[in-house]
Amino acid sequence: MRKKILLACAGLLFSQLASASDALPQRWVSAGGAFSEWVVALGGESKLVGVDSTSQYPRSLHSLPGIGYQRALAAEGILALRPDILVGSSEMGPPPVLEQLKASGVRIELLSAKADVPALQQNLTTLGQLLGQQNQAQALLSNYQQRLQQQAAVVKQARQQHPAPRVLLLLSHSGGNLQVAGKDTLAAWMIEQAGGQSLGEHTGYKPVSSEAMLALDPQVILLAGSRLQGDAARNALLEQNPVLAQTQAGRDGRVLVIDPTLLVGGLGPRVPDTLATLTAAFYPHAKTLSAEAGQ
Amino acid sequence: MLEADNLLVRRGQRTVLANIDIQLPPGQVLGVLGPNGAGKSTLLAALCGELPITEGNVSLDQRKLADWPGQERAKRLAVLPQSSSLNFAFSVNEVVGMGRLPHASGRVRDAEIVSEALAAADALHLAQRSYLALSGGERQRVHLARVLAQLWPGAEGQTLLLDEPTSMLDPLHQHTILQAVRDFAERGAAVMVILHDLNLAARYCDQLLLLQDGLPHAYGPPSEVLTADALAAVYGLQVLIHQHPERGHPLIIAR
Amino acid sequence: MTAIVRPRPMLLALGLVLVLVVWLSLALGPVSLPLGETLKAGLRLIGLPLEGDATQQADLILGQIRMPRTLLGIAVGAVLALSGVAMQGLFRNPLADPGLVGVSGGAALGAAIAIVGGSLVGGLPAAIEPYVLSVCAFAGGLIVTAIVYRFGRSNGQTNVATMLLAGVAMTAMAGAGVGLFTYLADDATLRTLTFWNLGSLNGASYQRLWPLLIVAVAVALWLPRRAAALNALLLGESEARHLGFDVERIKLELVLCTALGVGAAVAAAGLIGFIGLVVPHLMRLLVGPDHRVLLPASLLAGAGLLLLADLIARLLLAPAELPIGIVTALIGAPFFLFLLVRGRT
Repeated sequence: MRKKILLACAGLLFSQLASASDALPQRWVSAGGAFSEWVVALGGESKLVGVDSTSQYPRSLHSLPGIGYQRALAAEGILALRPDILVGSSEMGPPPVLEQLKASGVRIELLSAKADVPALQQNLTTLGQLLGQQNQAQALLSNYQQRLQQQAAVVKQARQQHPAPRVLLLLSHSGGNLQVAGKDTLAAWMIEQAGGQSLGEHTGYKPVSSEAMLALDPQVILLAGSRLQGDAARNALLEQNPVLAQTQAGRDGRVLVIDPTLLVGGLGPRVPDTLATLTAAFYPHAKTLSAEAGQ
Repeated sequence: MLEADNLLVRRGQRTVLANIDIQLPPGQVLGVLGPNGAGKSTLLAALCGELPITEGNVSLDQRKLADWPGQERAKRLAVLPQSSSLNFAFSVNEVVGMGRLPHASGRVRDAEIVSEALAAADALHLAQRSYLALSGGERQRVHLARVLAQLWPGAEGQTLLLDEPTSMLDPLHQHTILQAVRDFAERGAAVMVILHDLNLAARYCDQLLLLQDGLPHAYGPPSEVLTADALAAVYGLQVLIHQHPERGHPLIIAR
Repeated sequence: MTAIVRPRPMLLALGLVLVLVVWLSLALGPVSLPLGETLKAGLRLIGLPLEGDATQQADLILGQIRMPRTLLGIAVGAVLALSGVAMQGLFRNPLADPGLVGVSGGAALGAAIAIVGGSLVGGLPAAIEPYVLSVCAFAGGLIVTAIVYRFGRSNGQTNVATMLLAGVAMTAMAGAGVGLFTYLADDATLRTLTFWNLGSLNGASYQRLWPLLIVAVAVALWLPRRAAALNALLLGESEARHLGFDVERIKLELVLCTALGVGAAVAAAGLIGFIGLVVPHLMRLLVGPDHRVLLPASLLAGAGLLLLADLIARLLLAPAELPIGIVTALIGAPFFLFLLVRGRT
């Protein structure tokens, strides 16, 4: 008799849990690299049925159907995936397509693409609720904030002994000319957070002449978008751009490769690790946090 | 009747045509002769309103040419230019058929007229061919058929202006074409034709206008205009003037 | 023989092909709707109350997504093809393209100003934002064409050769303007601009459709009435004058028709190339140069071809979409090379 009651209670609880998770969206479409990463970090990868062109990380997302560029979404294409929810930033468009999706019963959740902690907090809270992982979201958030604080402390300490290095971030588009990250980009934010001085004075990504780059004379160069890694990338860059070899960074060989998917769409989960790597590169003689420390 | 009254045409500072007073009476063929640059084509352009006139007047049936509404004018005045830049693969029938556009005579009648005009220009056998596949001479005959079709069958009150219609034709066709033009005039139409060949002009024209440097050198019947002195003065060519043994018109033989 | 086929059967065939393509455009798409549901939804659109299994979804897909898109495709394809015929008649050259009078370049510049200017100013009020792009593109096309036309005018006459050169120059200037705005744009805006330049029927809605439909219907009704005049114009301007046509007025009408038609099409769907060049050319090979047949044939073929290209655009990479300008170029360019090889141009 007791067993039966226990089973009944368990069954009830189970059905409650089941119906509770039924209320959560099960089929997710994500338009934004950072958002996709967070969904995966919160354990929601199995719920993703479609991602946009900027969702390149983790690599397993490549096997999902692609919905194209976030500002040129196709209503019928997305509807064919039978999604319950579409997450993305206010950049999504065109507006008539979003209207059509809403009319078809797809929930559209707008997240912030701003590169600051309050925006991240907002996003994580929302995503946590929608995925039924509120606790984990909170945990990720506090860990993130903690790491950023640690990061800031390390930088402050390093700065006491060494000046901030001049840093340029170069974006290379397969064969095209190099573009320099300007002062309002996420790249600039990351450089500053890692204790460097971002040299781009313009806004957005713009080509800068070789002469100007020589005048800026960066001490560290960050290279995004190269197909090569490590030494090979550095050598290729300096070979193809001999002027850069004349800068301090070129002469000292301080060229780092950085994953370009980190540079779009707001703060993603990999940012603290990247900041740690950058700081280590910016202040090679100071004691810094290693990428593995801090969870 | 098309008339030009005290015509003066200037291009920039240059006077290209002056002192022109001519009439194109019905049933008569007026030939316009002169060396290159004498103003023949300018005269034709002025007479059909293509060229702005500096002074003087061109009138059709006592009304200024410019005052005529387009379609009305097209039923009375047809112009054959020296060359055509048609670059599209119309059939010969379609090209000649365009001559009927100013009229509202209906498809059946139009088709008949097109055939008759093609026959007059000795081009009926070309009717179904593509215009672009024709030789220069054949194309010229097709355009002649077109302007004939525009005024078909030719009657008093209609005027035909032709700019060197025989320039690309072989000797036989030169004659057939000009005979067709004469037949047109016989039915009452007025014709003005620019020619280079003096003998053709002598044979087929009722009146001749000899131009030199934009001025009329002589105006009258062929026997009066085509004199050795006049031709030497205008063309710088020494000639002998004989009479055609069968027809009696002047025969010009270069020395 | 100049025309390969007789006109009436050809027009009938083209009409049937268009109906078939319209049907395909409504029946096919990334969402697989059973044919029965599509049929019922279609009948519901015209008022018959029929219930089906997936009524609401079918209504949405067919009525809100595919139908406006199909209508947009028909209007844009027809207008671009008709304008192509008009320009090939105006310039008396089978290689002419509506862009020669500068309307495409001007529209691109207008769009660039709207897209980039809007973001530079910090965003536009939501009420007018959807319309600003279309209005600016349309205005840009009209203004540049007006300038080109003005350059071609002297002494009350329009010199077509001068207009051609002016069109080339103004298109280059508009391109420079677009380049400048490209430089000023931030990355998101840049991608928007790029996609607009490639053309798309995506996001079609009845609301944005009706201005274009009005213009398209006007052009489609008006141009065929000028068919005889266009034929005469091909003989030459003075020949057409001697046949009794007011050539100056016709030239103005042709330019105006192209500016309004192409301007509206570009404003609604972005830059879509090759339809205006390839369709009239192809139709001329099939039905001959007589505009009385060429105009309706080009209208039908242009609409059909664009709908076909759109089908490919939205099915090939589903759920994403290929910009339609890419597909028309991929169809148009090889075809053009084929024509060159055959020596028909």
